[in-house]
Amino acid sequence: MSGQTVDLPQGTLDLLILRTLALGPQHGWAVSERIHQVSSKVLQVRQGSLYPALHRLERAGWIKAHWGTSENNRRAKYYELTRSGRKQLAADQNEWRKLTAAVDQILAPS
Amino acid sequence: MVSDLLMRLRALLQRKAVESELDDELRFHFDQQVDKLVHSGLPPAEARRRARLVFGGSDQIKEECREARGIHFLETCAQDIRYGIRMLYRNAGFTIVAVLTLALGIGVNVVAFTTFKVFFDRPLDARDPGKMVNLALVLHSGDVGARFSYPDYEALRDRLHSFRGLIASNGDTSLTLSGAGGSVSQKSSADGSLAGKLGLLSSSSSNKEFAATRIVSENYFSVLGIAPLRGRIFGDVAELAASPEVLISENYWQRRFGGDPALLGQTIRLNGVAFTIVGITPHDFAGTDFDVPDFWLPLSLEPLLHPDSHLLSDRETHSCRLFARLAPGVRIDQAQAEMNLLAGHLTALHDTHSDWGKPATALLWPGSPFPIPLNRLRAEAKYGALLIMLAVGMVLVIACANVASLQLARATSRKSEMSMRLSLGASRRRLVRQLLTENALLGLLAGAVALLCSWILMKALASVVAEAFPVQYGTVIFHVTPDLGIFAYVFAISLAAGILFGLAPALESSRTAVSPALKANPGTSPARSRRLHNVFIAAQVAVALALMIAASMLLHSSIHAFQVDRGYDKQVVDLTLKFAEGPKYTADRKGALVRELRTRLAAMPGVAAITNANAPVYGYRQAAVSLNGEVPLAQSQRAFIDYTYVQANYFQTLGIPLLFGRKFQSPAGQPEPSVILSESAAKRLWPGENPIGGSLRLGTDGQFHRKNDLVPDGPPYQVIGVTGDTRGATFDGSDSYLVYLQLPEDRLQDYPILVRTADPKQFMPAIHPLISSIDPDLEVDSETFEEMLRVSATFFLPSSAAAIASPVGLIGLLLAAMGIYGTVSYIVVLRTREVGIRMALGAPKRAILGLMLQQCMRPVLAGLLAGMFLAVGASYLLRGALHGLHTVDGISFAGVSFLFAAVALLAAYLPSRRAMDVDPMVALRYE
Repeated sequence: MSGQTVDLPQGTLDLLILRTLALGPQHGWAVSERIHQVSSKVLQVRQGSLYPALHRLERAGWIKAHWGTSENNRRAKYYELTRSGRKQLAADQNEWRKLTAAVDQILAPS
Repeated sequence: MVSDLLMRLRALLQRKAVESELDDELRFHFDQQVDKLVHSGLPPAEARRRARLVFGGSDQIKEECREARGIHFLETCAQDIRYGIRMLYRNAGFTIVAVLTLALGIGVNVVAFTTFKVFFDRPLDARDPGKMVNLALVLHSGDVGARFSYPDYEALRDRLHSFRGLIASNGDTSLTLSGAGGSVSQKSSADGSLAGKLGLLSSSSSNKEFAATRIVSENYFSVLGIAPLRGRIFGDVAELAASPEVLISENYWQRRFGGDPALLGQTIRLNGVAFTIVGITPHDFAGTDFDVPDFWLPLSLEPLLHPDSHLLSDRETHSCRLFARLAPGVRIDQAQAEMNLLAGHLTALHDTHSDWGKPATALLWPGSPFPIPLNRLRAEAKYGALLIMLAVGMVLVIACANVASLQLARATSRKSEMSMRLSLGASRRRLVRQLLTENALLGLLAGAVALLCSWILMKALASVVAEAFPVQYGTVIFHVTPDLGIFAYVFAISLAAGILFGLAPALESSRTAVSPALKANPGTSPARSRRLHNVFIAAQVAVALALMIAASMLLHSSIHAFQVDRGYDKQVVDLTLKFAEGPKYTADRKGALVRELRTRLAAMPGVAAITNANAPVYGYRQAAVSLNGEVPLAQSQRAFIDYTYVQANYFQTLGIPLLFGRKFQSPAGQPEPSVILSESAAKRLWPGENPIGGSLRLGTDGQFHRKNDLVPDGPPYQVIGVTGDTRGATFDGSDSYLVYLQLPEDRLQDYPILVRTADPKQFMPAIHPLISSIDPDLEVDSETFEEMLRVSATFFLPSSAAAIASPVGLIGLLLAAMGIYGTVSYIVVLRTREVGIRMALGAPKRAILGLMLQQCMRPVLAGLLAGMFLAVGASYLLRGALHGLHTVDGISFAGVSFLFAAVALLAAYLPSRRAMDVDPMVALRYE
């Protein structure tokens, strides 16, 4: 919204969603709020990307959905990690760390 | 995997639930967002506005979610189909034109394919036909020898072990039928049938009834595995010899005897010999051939029918086609290897000078009535088939191009629909898919229509073919049950066509919808697609023109063949006597009969002259000619020239002028040793000299002639006269070179009687009663020269080829005209703005029309030019069949091209008029 937000690099949204859901079942809005807050308001996930991504992850079998009640007593769709989702998260995190470390090395002033 | 499948299934089966869940989820998100903003102190209305701004289009999100869930494929397919059907229904005019155009293209292909299959790729009419094979020898000359002599058949049958049975078919012969009760008038049946009306059949009238009879080996039905419809099949050879048996076909039983159940066990006479009908073969059973005969006779009884021939013992009479059923577990190549070993043995039994006496190899191929394997077809035949397939394929391409043109034109009018759908959130891929679905639907619809139409057409054709020949010619079987192969063929073509012509316009319309460059410039036509149109049109015009020119040349040629001056009177009547074989008719008796007949004929009213000779229609025998008394050998011969035997009054009877010299002396004992030459022959043998008094010798060694033919070999002949040229039905006109010899008086009975009368129509009906009064057993055919010429190959081949080529060419012309019309309409729509500007600047209406027509006629002219080149090529290929025409037949070329240009101009003029009606104010304000 403000000038501080940064566009997400391609492919990182899935990782962020999986990481956020690793803390416990959440509905879509909470996932986007959490990413926004934890990233110190740098990352803002648009709904247009969030929901297709959630549905895609569900289809891949990494997360599953169920209907529950939200903190303000409304019906909300909650997503949680599955076992294969956890494995996928570990693998993705590992890869991401390798990638950023390599990019940092190159960017670091020699 | 499992979660994927479950989600897809749920998406498909519980579409409503899934959709409402998606709604709930997104609304929850939106409300949360609003709540958050309200908490941060905004008034609710402003909070909603802000939330909506952030949220963006919820339909677009939903669409992407659906896609992410994998709901889309099947569901959107169903949606596309529903939408497609609605669009096709709404544009009924377009749909009908497109479907009919495509159906025409596909239908022509189906008919061609089916016909090809029926004639070339047809199994034998047998149980388990896959086990049947055809037998032949590849002779030393490279020809395929598919007709064996009966002794060869016996040798193969008794020595080969690869087969469970080996059968022989001697082909069809026409036998006289009597003692059958009632009679079918042969003359009227020939007139009543389609083939008779088309002039395919000889219209000669006969005093006898005939039946097409196929003579087959005794084991024929058991090896083919066919049980009779009623009665039984042949007994063994000994039984047959004791009481001659015949089978009747169900088709003939119905057509000739009205299905009379009492016929079984009755006796009929074929060629005067009594046979008992013991069985009826099944409906449409054609065995190893294309047609159903009237009767089936065993080979061992053949000598009863033709006492003078020695079919069963003569090894040099090649008349039997052989078919065999492979023994269980034997492959076709193993059987061929075994027969190869025997081929050498057969060769040794033949005359060493004949083709069959030289080394040969065995050739086996899957059982088919077609007499040679397809890959051994002569190059010309292959080329001809390829040309037909190409022409037929082009019709489909033209049809597809036309529909593509229509689509392209429609894409323009659908531009606003496309941009609407794009802005509502459809992806470009989705649009292309929607259009492809629409086109595939169109293709399928056209395929269904085409299949139905061609099926009806072929059914109708089959029943026409079945009734086309009078009953004494048997029944041609044209199986058209649409099998799965043909259905798959139509299906594949129609689908491929749908995709093919759908692709270009789909890309085009989605491009017009998204490309800002085109949006900014809508009043002009994109040059790229116009070039494509032009190529389509030029190609259509070229192919259709070439076909039509070829058809026109063929027609022209057959008319020419008929009208050309033959050098003799075409109204002379030919009476061919057919004496039954056997001891009844000795040469003396035949001679006496002919003389009596001539006397009685001469007494008939209107008869002017009578002579005995071969009719000058079907060509003659040839001999080598040498001059100056040399014996005609390969090195001393001057030419090969036709010869014929005639009586002294021949020239007067036929109206052939004697140019100089004298005629033969009237008969008194032996004929004189002199000859008369035709003008062409005289010029060829004695160029620039007077041939009268010259001497020549004739040699027929190595030339075809029958056992008892008169041959002119031997003494030198003196030339006594020269006559005008005559021409029969040969393609090359070689029969104009002719040597006339005098016919000895004791050989009259071997030659037809030629009668010149005042009116053949009155004369001919009186012949049969006259002959019956002289000898009721005598069989005679009567025909005028004109009728003989009409059924000759020179007349019949070009006209039937034209009958095939002209409808294909006409369809091509029709499609090309439709294509031109559509394209011009399209261009007119595209250029409305340009026309408006021109008119605003003062261009007169005529100039606008000229501009449009000029634009449209350019590809047409290019197509006409290309088509003429193609037609020159075609006429070069057809030169053998074109009778008396130059290679480039001016009338056909100019006439057909003019017709095409006129049709194209009309097709372009009609929509061009619309450009003239453009109101400049409206056209420009349209922006």
